[in-house]
Amino acid sequence: MIPKQPVKRFAAWCAPMLAAAVLFTGCSQGAGTSADSSSSNGQGSSTSSATTEISFEAYSNYEKPLTKVVEAFEQQNPNIKVKMNLVPIDQLTETIEIKLSSKAEDLDVLFVDTPLVMNYSVKGYLEPLDSLIPADAKAKWTKSAVDTVSYKGELMAAPMNSSSQVLYYNKDIFKKKGIPFPDADKRMTWEEVRDLAKQLTSDNVYGFSFEQVDKAYQLLALSDSLSAKMLSDDGLVSSGYSNSPEAVKAFQFYADLFNKDKVSPKIKKEESIDYFTSGKVAMFVSTNQNMPKIRDSGLNFGVTLHPYFAGQKVATPTGAWNVGISKYSEHKEASAKFIKFLTLGEGAKILFKEGGTLPPQIDLLNSIDTDPKYEQFPDNVIRIAAKESRETAVPRPKTPGYLEWEKNMNKAFEDMKNGADPQKALDDAVHVIDNLLKKYKGVAAN
Amino acid sequence: MKLKNNIGSILLFLLPTLAGLFLFKLYPIFSAVVQSVYTTQFFTGEKSFVGLQNYQSLFADPVFWNSLKVTLVFNLIINPLQIVLAFALAMLLNTKIKRIAFFRGIHFVPVAVSVPTACVLWNIMLSPEQGVVNSILVALGLDPQPFLGSSLQALGSIIAIASWKGVGYWSLFLLAGLQEIPGSLLEASSLDGASRWKQFVHVILPLMKRPLTFIVVAVTTANFLLFSPMYILTKGGPENSTNVLMLESFNNAFLYSDMGRSYAIMVILLLITLTVVALQFKWLRTSH
Repeated sequence: MIPKQPVKRFAAWCAPMLAAAVLFTGCSQGAGTSADSSSSNGQGSSTSSATTEISFEAYSNYEKPLTKVVEAFEQQNPNIKVKMNLVPIDQLTETIEIKLSSKAEDLDVLFVDTPLVMNYSVKGYLEPLDSLIPADAKAKWTKSAVDTVSYKGELMAAPMNSSSQVLYYNKDIFKKKGIPFPDADKRMTWEEVRDLAKQLTSDNVYGFSFEQVDKAYQLLALSDSLSAKMLSDDGLVSSGYSNSPEAVKAFQFYADLFNKDKVSPKIKKEESIDYFTSGKVAMFVSTNQNMPKIRDSGLNFGVTLHPYFAGQKVATPTGAWNVGISKYSEHKEASAKFIKFLTLGEGAKILFKEGGTLPPQIDLLNSIDTDPKYEQFPDNVIRIAAKESRETAVPRPKTPGYLEWEKNMNKAFEDMKNGADPQKALDDAVHVIDNLLKKYKGVAAN
Repeated sequence: MKLKNNIGSILLFLLPTLAGLFLFKLYPIFSAVVQSVYTTQFFTGEKSFVGLQNYQSLFADPVFWNSLKVTLVFNLIINPLQIVLAFALAMLLNTKIKRIAFFRGIHFVPVAVSVPTACVLWNIMLSPEQGVVNSILVALGLDPQPFLGSSLQALGSIIAIASWKGVGYWSLFLLAGLQEIPGSLLEASSLDGASRWKQFVHVILPLMKRPLTFIVVAVTTANFLLFSPMYILTKGGPENSTNVLMLESFNNAFLYSDMGRSYAIMVILLLITLTVVALQFKWLRTSH
């Protein structure tokens, strides 16, 4: 009995102290790391001897080429380290939004989708680049690329690449069905593609699939072909535009592919390329930069031009990734150095060579036109893409609320794929979008 | 007497908890209420006072009302379902058979899996294209189902997934409660000729009031704030059929950069949860 008492006492005092100790160590740890990072920040900007680490928020699809770019950059600039945060597309805009809306300092360089340049500029997320990159840089990119990344006359991001879409097809499935290959130089109509897809569809094989299932970037080619405009001129009204009769007609075609014609698999974007490379899909409209992936899968494939609606306008998707610097970054100089390397210097060449992406740099674009390498299949894909991006590409709608517009349209596309009536899905979407765009009054698009 | 002597050490014991409670629970609630009457300006990022405007715009918005409806329907189904299932499971796990420890072990496996993992797993299994669940349905001669792709089935599918994941956890607390019931009471009642059902209603249930109150309140709050399955599996779709208030609030904050509106939704959600929990406490008040 007697020895129990002191033990109890001791325990009674010990436990709270222990808890307090845990709390304090927690605090001091936190303080330690923040002190560390602030000191390295200070050194990074003042002296060049210390290493600066810049954080780069990037789309995970670019892992392979970007890793090579970063390696080359770090070799040339031993005192700058680039930490890549690779994020899948669905999480990329959200990650950026969460970090930048909380003014996080651990994000320096970020991927900026072209239609989001204005959205990020309006929210004050991006550091204008005019003072950070050489004045002659703008002349090295195509004029259209420079235009898309400018807001109120200032360069808000640097164009990294562009894209176009081509129609890939699986030669083995065509042969098996005894159907002749599509002509490489003749543009098919969507109606022809659909009819062909019906013939190609059988057990375990679907005739046709979009790469970017449910995504506005790719599906706008349908409505663009019917000359449907998605938003009012000031970019603030979608009602009457995104659900116009032409838009409904275009997306009815999309919905029918899944539900009426049953030629497309109800899959997600992430699965679509595997469905094609594993032979489950006969025809695949996909971006030019997927060529290396498709080639490396060993598939016996061919390529032809992007389709359009019979008797209507030829319209192909286009879109680009740009890189910007966060307004809250503490390493703007180092970040600018990296951006220059990636979009103007050697990095641009590496990205073009390794990633097979369409470059916005004039000299690289010219090399596509002159280098005989790009006459041969399958490298000619990039030449087709370059031609399409000059002649038939239709950019995505211009609005400060592109994020709101796109997220809700993508939802509507997904609902249509799952069987919703296109008219109703679009009517519902424009209602939500218009409500969300109200807050941008006073920040018109033009 | 004893309590008075030890008040100092009791406070000291409670200090970390109280500090945590204030820092992580009460302060955020207070902050949310304050932020819900502000809106953020473009370009400058400055906050300006707008009074109840965020609430007014919410009440005028059918998307909010739909979201509120989905949240209430979801909770009306999932809460009783999970409580009943957890109780049934706890009763099963309390039976005295051989190897019961093994069954108690496996029922806990879904609990050990993290929510995102569980969601990704079920997403693959429920896939309308080549999902294993549909393969089984087809093998049984039934039609394949769209599950998460259908506005009629998505909420139900999420309820099933969340319950698969949650019931095992809640049943643990009930199992602990069941094991506290003295065997002599049950023996006595069966000697008196009480049927199993009567035994359950008149002996077990009254003695389980305390753990049940905890479970009812905990399940309710957990499900009102449930967010990750909708976020991972459906993003509120198809046709907004799974767009619960938590998701709507997240979207407003991190997609549509409308923090004020997001906070207003959180405050409304908090009030609803508080009301429901208060009612539950009233109904389930224990006599001892």
